[in-house]
Amino acid sequence: MTATTPTSGARDLASGHVPGITLRHVTKSFGATEVLTDVCATLTPGRIYGLLGANGTGKTTLLACIAGHTFASGGEIRIDGRDPREHAPTLSRLCFVREDQAYNDAFTVADILAVMPAFYPDWDIETATRLVRRFRLPWRTRSKKLSRGQRSALAIVLALASGAAYTFLDEPYLGLDPTARGIFYDELLAAYAASHDRADDPRPGRVAAPAPRTFVMSTHLIDEAADLMEEVLVLDRGEIVLQADVDDARRTAFVARGLDAEVKALGVGRELLSSRRLGGITSATIRGELSAQDRRRADEARVSIEPASLQELVAAIGLHGGTDQLAPHSVGSTHGEPLAQTHSLAAESESDQ
Amino acid sequence: MSDQPDQSDQPDQPDWTDGRPIFMDLADRIAADIIAGLIPEETQVPSTNELAAHYRINPATAGKALNRLVDQGIVYKRRGLGMFVATGAPDALRAARREAFADQFVRPFVQEGRRIGLTIEEIVALVTKERA
Repeated sequence: MTATTPTSGARDLASGHVPGITLRHVTKSFGATEVLTDVCATLTPGRIYGLLGANGTGKTTLLACIAGHTFASGGEIRIDGRDPREHAPTLSRLCFVREDQAYNDAFTVADILAVMPAFYPDWDIETATRLVRRFRLPWRTRSKKLSRGQRSALAIVLALASGAAYTFLDEPYLGLDPTARGIFYDELLAAYAASHDRADDPRPGRVAAPAPRTFVMSTHLIDEAADLMEEVLVLDRGEIVLQADVDDARRTAFVARGLDAEVKALGVGRELLSSRRLGGITSATIRGELSAQDRRRADEARVSIEPASLQELVAAIGLHGGTDQLAPHSVGSTHGEPLAQTHSLAAESESDQ
Repeated sequence: MSDQPDQSDQPDQPDWTDGRPIFMDLADRIAADIIAGLIPEETQVPSTNELAAHYRINPATAGKALNRLVDQGIVYKRRGLGMFVATGAPDALRAARREAFADQFVRPFVQEGRRIGLTIEEIVALVTKERA
C-alpha cells in the first residue's frame, strides 16, 4: 500500500494544498445544544477510517459537516486544502449517505440509481448493478416501502458505486443480516483495492492518476468491523479523544481481573474507564500501558491481564463520560482523572449496570 | 465476529481475539502454510489485496504481515511480480520455532502442571507416556 502519495497528492502539495481531510477546532451547535465542541483531526487520503463513539456523541453531525451537508458553527474543514462548500469540484468528490437518508417517496430503487451519474462523475454503473443483485434489492419498489435493511443496502450501493474520492458511511449496517454484512465487507474491500490499483497504475491517456479512495465509516459493530479499518477515531462528548492505528488503539487499554484491592493497586495512577464487580472480584478496564514489571506484579497478585477489545475500549470511554452524572461519589471528578485511593472501584461499580 | 452464526458467508477467519496485533497472527498463519508445504519454496504468496479479501481485513494490515515475513527473510519481493517464498524458508521457520518451543510451550506447560500440584517428575512421566 504505497499508494498514499499518488501523483495527484504531489500536485496538491505543489500548489500548497494538504491532501486529505483536515479538521481544525470544528464546532457545531443546534440551538443551545453544542454537539461538536472542538473537533481536531487529520485524515490521510487512501485509507479506511472508523469513526466510533457512543450514541449522541455527534458522529452523524461530524460526517454531515465534513461532507458539506450542513454548516459547521465554527472551525475549519478542508478537503485536499479546499473548503468543500466553496469549491464545487471538491464537493463532487464527496459522497455521504445518511443513516436516515430521505429519498423522494415516489422514486423506485431504479429511479434513484438512474439520477446518480448526475451527482457523481465517477459513478460506476457495473458496481451498482452487481450490488443491487447481490443485496437482492427490488428495482421497482418505491423508496418509502423499503425495509430498514433494504434502505441500508441502498445506502451502501450508492456509497460504493459513487466512486467518490471521499466516501462517508453512516452506520452502514442497520438492519442488515450477517450475510448482507459479509457482502458489504467484501465489496468495500474490493472498491478500496480497485481504487488503489487504478492509482498505482494509471490508464494511458489520463491526465493524472485518480487518488485512491478514502472511506470514513461510523459504526457500533466495532469488533466486527475493526479488522477492515486502518485507523480509528473515537468521538466522545463532541471531541476526538483518540485517533490511532487499530492495533495501537487496542494497546491503549487493558482489562484487569482479580481481587478488588489488587486490581485497585494496579490502577493507581492510571485512568479507570469502567469496572464491574462479582463478589470480591473486580474486572476493570483501565487505560494505560503495562511494563513487564507491572505484569509480573499482577501475576503474583493473581490479577489476570487481558487486552481490551476495541469495542470494550470505546464502550468504556462512552460509559466513563457518563459516570460524572451517574455516580454521586465521583462528583467533581474530571474526564481524565487518575484512579485515586479515595475514588474506590466499589463506588464506580455501583454506577455500572 | 458476529454473535449470530453464519456458516454460509463466513470468511476463513483465524481467531484474532487473543489481543495480538492481527498482522502478527496473519504472518504466523502464512508461515504455518509455508512450513506445511502448502506454499512451496520459490512460489508466489498471495498478494496484499488477495489476503485482505480472503480474511476480510484492511489491506494495510495484510501488507504489514507480508513485510514482517520479508524482514524475517521468509519471503522476498520480485519487482513487478509480487512476493515469493525464499529457498530454505521452511527449514528456517522450523528452526525458529524450535528455538521458541521452550518459551512458548514448555514453560507454560510446566507452570500449569505446578499450579495443579504435579511434581516435575510426574510431568516428565506424562511426556514420556505421550511417546507410546
